[in-house]
Amino acid sequence: MIALVTGANGFLGSSLVAGLLSQTDYQVRCIVRPGSSIEKLKKTATDFPDRCEIKYGALHNYSICLDIVKNVDIVFHLASAKSGAPAEMFHGSSVTTKCLLDAIVNTNKTIRLVHCSSFSVYSVAELKSREMVNEHTPLERHPEKRDLYAFSKWHQEQLIREYYKKYNIPTVILRPGVIYGPGGTPISTRVGLSVFGVFLFIGGRNILPLTYIDNCAEAFLTVAEKAAFEGETYNIVDDDLITAGKFLSLYRAQVLRLRFIRVPYPLMWLLSVLCEKYHVRSKGQLPDVFTRYKSASMWKPQTFTNMKLKQLGWTMKVPTDLGLAKHFEYLT
Amino acid sequence: MDKLRVAIIGCGQIADGHVSEIQKLGNATVVAVCDTEPIIAEQLAIRFGIKTWYHSHKEMLNKEQLDVIHICTPPQSHLALAKDAVDSGCHIYVEKPLALNYLETVELVQYVTNAHRKITIGHNSEFDPPSVEMRNHIKNGTLGDPVHVESWYGYNMGGSFGKAILASPDHWVHKLPGKLFHNNINHMLNKITEYLDDDTPEIHAFAWKRDTTQNFGDLRDDLYDELRTVIRGKTVSAYGTFSSGVRPVGHYVRVYGTRSIIDLDYTSRSVAVDRGALYPSAIGRLLAGYDKAWQYTKSALKNSKRFYQNDFHFFSGMNLLIKNFYDSILHDAPLPVSTRNIVRIAWIMDSIISQIQGEKQS
Repeated sequence: MIALVTGANGFLGSSLVAGLLSQTDYQVRCIVRPGSSIEKLKKTATDFPDRCEIKYGALHNYSICLDIVKNVDIVFHLASAKSGAPAEMFHGSSVTTKCLLDAIVNTNKTIRLVHCSSFSVYSVAELKSREMVNEHTPLERHPEKRDLYAFSKWHQEQLIREYYKKYNIPTVILRPGVIYGPGGTPISTRVGLSVFGVFLFIGGRNILPLTYIDNCAEAFLTVAEKAAFEGETYNIVDDDLITAGKFLSLYRAQVLRLRFIRVPYPLMWLLSVLCEKYHVRSKGQLPDVFTRYKSASMWKPQTFTNMKLKQLGWTMKVPTDLGLAKHFEYLT
Repeated sequence: MDKLRVAIIGCGQIADGHVSEIQKLGNATVVAVCDTEPIIAEQLAIRFGIKTWYHSHKEMLNKEQLDVIHICTPPQSHLALAKDAVDSGCHIYVEKPLALNYLETVELVQYVTNAHRKITIGHNSEFDPPSVEMRNHIKNGTLGDPVHVESWYGYNMGGSFGKAILASPDHWVHKLPGKLFHNNINHMLNKITEYLDDDTPEIHAFAWKRDTTQNFGDLRDDLYDELRTVIRGKTVSAYGTFSSGVRPVGHYVRVYGTRSIIDLDYTSRSVAVDRGALYPSAIGRLLAGYDKAWQYTKSALKNSKRFYQNDFHFFSGMNLLIKNFYDSILHDAPLPVSTRNIVRIAWIMDSIISQIQGEKQS
């Protein structure tokens, strides 16, 4: 059995590859973008020289996709662009996904697909404050109003759904929350962000949809083993979720005594109104970094559940306090 | 014709700039966009509220009643796309470089002229505020006669476009005759040709790869990243520098005239006139520093005023270029970039590229 992992050298990708090699019998084919560093993957691969193959491949090239899906049983599609110009983001996420899906459709074999989507596809700006985000939460109606990452991930998931319906590719979609752990983003923007060297603490008492890297990878393995592959969706968040305030205080105690300015959500909303108005009046002299829609999507309080994933059999291997300790230890 | 109906072919990185600047003008509407990859066309259209997108430019040209086409595709496709656009009665704005070489450039310019259509090239920085201010200095005699020009164009290979070039040997930049330089040195050369009378000046070019740490074993290893050019015309000489190694990444021009030396910094958008010491002895040397400080202060104050007036945008040069081009169509005003200058730059680029290729082979 061959498992193909796209975006295999990424934060989640490398952890998933390690999990596939240590916990399953799959032969693992890792695909990484040309020019990417594969140091971390190589280290994992040396322990399993007969079961791990690393290939460079530009997924926007259909013939390369045809080649890499050859004899594959399951695809873990993690590749997507995280930053860059708009066209580049869509190229790295949607165009590559389309080529991969076309290749899957045109092989003679049934290939199962596990797609890594994101919480950012949910239309949370339109939810009530503290409303539960679950798999039934509506998807974005205006993804273009969000940031480019959210828009491109939303578009990528639409493609996956379109191909599932059209070609009946056995598909499962996973939507991780904020993935953290050693090597991940130090502080999620859901906590706050740095503007001109000042950290704006906006998250307040909002619950963070955290998932520790190994728990998240475990969810992919569980789904691969137990899901029905009938186009279903699973959210990935851990138990014992903490608030943004708690995260920041732990970070300050264990990593760096970061100086911050507390910005309550109503003030953030007001700043967003001003930012939007200035952006329009000045014809885009400064970018509309904050808008009411973006701020509501990011900092309006919500609650989260992992019930559906647990019902499938997923259990959290690394408790949140241990996960946070590892995350902060890596940063010191 | 009240409002020009405009379309974009090629929805990559620079297309965002084109659409946003056109949408600021009152005399044109972007009615459609087109890219061979429909997803890329779709994302641009959705983000900018454009209702129609295509993946076939011929279908777009047939279906839409267009006045102007902006061609923002890789240069390899410019000639064919531009001819199709002209055949359907459109005026064309073509991103730089206009074509793959001098002969193609001449062919396209003649094609457009014969069809009584108008053409311009994406020489934005020629219309950035420092360039506009410089023209005033020339007009009022501050510079005197130009003697020598130094044009510096810095490039960041760590930027998103640079990274994309290094990420894949299949990137279209690797297939251009002059590779990285071919796609960028228009910005270095158009600052020089403005002061040069000659059509075919004497040119000496030297290029090399400075960053030899990365070896890919493919086309990417042939990517030269440093270029030095010496140009000698009848009355004006010039140095052109393209550098990927120098930090900070700068974009400067220094023009030496018979009355003063003028420094243009396109990054900070400042212009400083050096008239030399105005007073004798130590007092002159002392006050010269204050004079320079005042020149830069004046530029900063002017920029602050522009910012306050919401006139300090990243693509302000592109905005003025598009506005002037549309004026040339609507009111028969002169073209913003003369076809002579477009052709001259193509000739100079051919000369530089052939020398570099000769050097590589030897």
